[in-house]
Amino acid sequence: MSAEEQQQWFDFALDIAKRAGLVIKDGFEKTKTIEMKDNPRDLVTDTDKAVEALVIGEISKTFPDHKFIGEESTAAGAKCELTDSPTWIIDPVDGTMNFVHSFPYTCISLAVWCEQQPCVAVVHNPILDLTYTARKDHGAFLNGKKLSVSLKDDLSQSLVMTELWCRPDPAKMAVATANAMKVIKKCHGPRCMGSAALNMCHVAQGAAEVYYEIGIHAWDTAAASLIVREAGGVVMDMTGGPYDLMNRRVLCAANLKLAQQMVELLEVYDEDRD
Amino acid sequence: MNSLDLDDCFQTALDLAKEAGLIISEAFKKAKKVEEKTSPRDLVTETDKLIEDQVISKLQELYPNHKFIGEESTAAGIKCELTNDPTWIIDPVDGTLNFVHSFPYTCISIALWVDKKPCLGVVYNPVLQQLYTARKNAGAFLNGERIRVSGKEDLSRSLVVMEMGYRPDEKKMEVVHRNAKKLIERCHGTRALGSAALDMCLVAEGAAEVYWENGLHAWDMAASVLLITEAGGVVLDITGGPHDLMNRRVLCAASPQLAQQMVQLLEVYDEDRD
Repeated sequence: MSAEEQQQWFDFALDIAKRAGLVIKDGFEKTKTIEMKDNPRDLVTDTDKAVEALVIGEISKTFPDHKFIGEESTAAGAKCELTDSPTWIIDPVDGTMNFVHSFPYTCISLAVWCEQQPCVAVVHNPILDLTYTARKDHGAFLNGKKLSVSLKDDLSQSLVMTELWCRPDPAKMAVATANAMKVIKKCHGPRCMGSAALNMCHVAQGAAEVYYEIGIHAWDTAAASLIVREAGGVVMDMTGGPYDLMNRRVLCAANLKLAQQMVELLEVYDEDRD
Repeated sequence: MNSLDLDDCFQTALDLAKEAGLIISEAFKKAKKVEEKTSPRDLVTETDKLIEDQVISKLQELYPNHKFIGEESTAAGIKCELTNDPTWIIDPVDGTLNFVHSFPYTCISIALWVDKKPCLGVVYNPVLQQLYTARKNAGAFLNGERIRVSGKEDLSRSLVVMEMGYRPDEKKMEVVHRNAKKLIERCHGTRALGSAALDMCLVAEGAAEVYWENGLHAWDMAASVLLITEAGGVVLDITGGPHDLMNRRVLCAASPQLAQQMVQLLEVYDEDRD
């Protein structure tokens, strides 16, 4: 990938994200057609599908050799496989539960990965008009303003973002609950917004210090992981190992010291890989 | 009682909220001078004190016969007493922990109660530019547009906003934990954004269906309870009895049916009254 290509991919990503944002905003204010995927809390709407079709359609026209990993395409049976080829990783509506409820924390998340590394990222919340962007080695931005993670390195002074949702498997639920209780006891305060991408962006902007979750997908973190790193933060696996896009979990923090405190605290369970 | 010009009071509340909003926005981006009140998570900043002094002074000048209940004045030892007299109830910076972290979910809350009932309320988040207003029998508004609760009656389809922050008393923390577990298993999803006043506004605007808290203060809810009832929602005590501004608890919901489901589920503990 050349610098020119990176710029071209970024400009395109930003433009298509904003166009998708108009579709999301339009759908947000109306009654939604909702289907359940795996369970009553795993939802998809006509808007999710329309946005993904729009984005993939437009990208295919301009970059016919590029690959895709999209939430709804994967749900429809497309293989979720990351190669060295430029790959667009798309969550058309992150925080679908929020979208369905007209809860204003929802966004499109769009990343381009090349040689199995993120190089371009856009996370756009059209409801609150917040656009987070990053290009590898060029910093992270919110509405054009440069982002920096928080300077705090003490968990007791840190806001921790996570999600408290019902896992059907009781053993997994027990781990998730135990983790949450430990974190609540140690940190400055827990926060749950309902969108993985936006949770991570709040770490990037220095509004929170940590986000962790087991159960997310590749398309949830593919863009925001670059945004956090370009803002000076760290992204890794909850076990302390390297970040693995496909292993269904993530830990991000303002710095390594905080991340280590979390690694020591948290239990981990495995989910089926993407 | 001297004649009370509520139009005038409402305009005053709006003006004061906007002025305070400018102070909050400016200070939000900077490093804050923070003191602990009762614990490391119970904070106050110079901004809290400055705004409360400014608001109360102005109100005393305009309405010398009115009474006041303010968060920081109460912390400084002034008696917290609600009589039939027109009483302004002020939280200068709700979500102080968020403010300290530059987490964009913080607001000023101003309410006027007369004959121990709310007659006007203003909640303003200047960071996201969200101005919530309500007057008795005149509806609830967000940035000038009418808002209504979602009206949902089924907990399994409802978003529940609940703060899971640490309480130093082990027994109380256990009640919080048990309540949370029951709700997570039954509701559509849980959210926690760290400001009681704004959490309640989410219910008023139909973005969430339920908010409850055991441990908040009169100034946290004095404005938002009116926003919810004017948006068509219900406000009760967590036990199912009538809401008591001074008993440190609130339950609000998008419908009476939802409220009843919550009353049946939730355990309650007592806090010292305001």
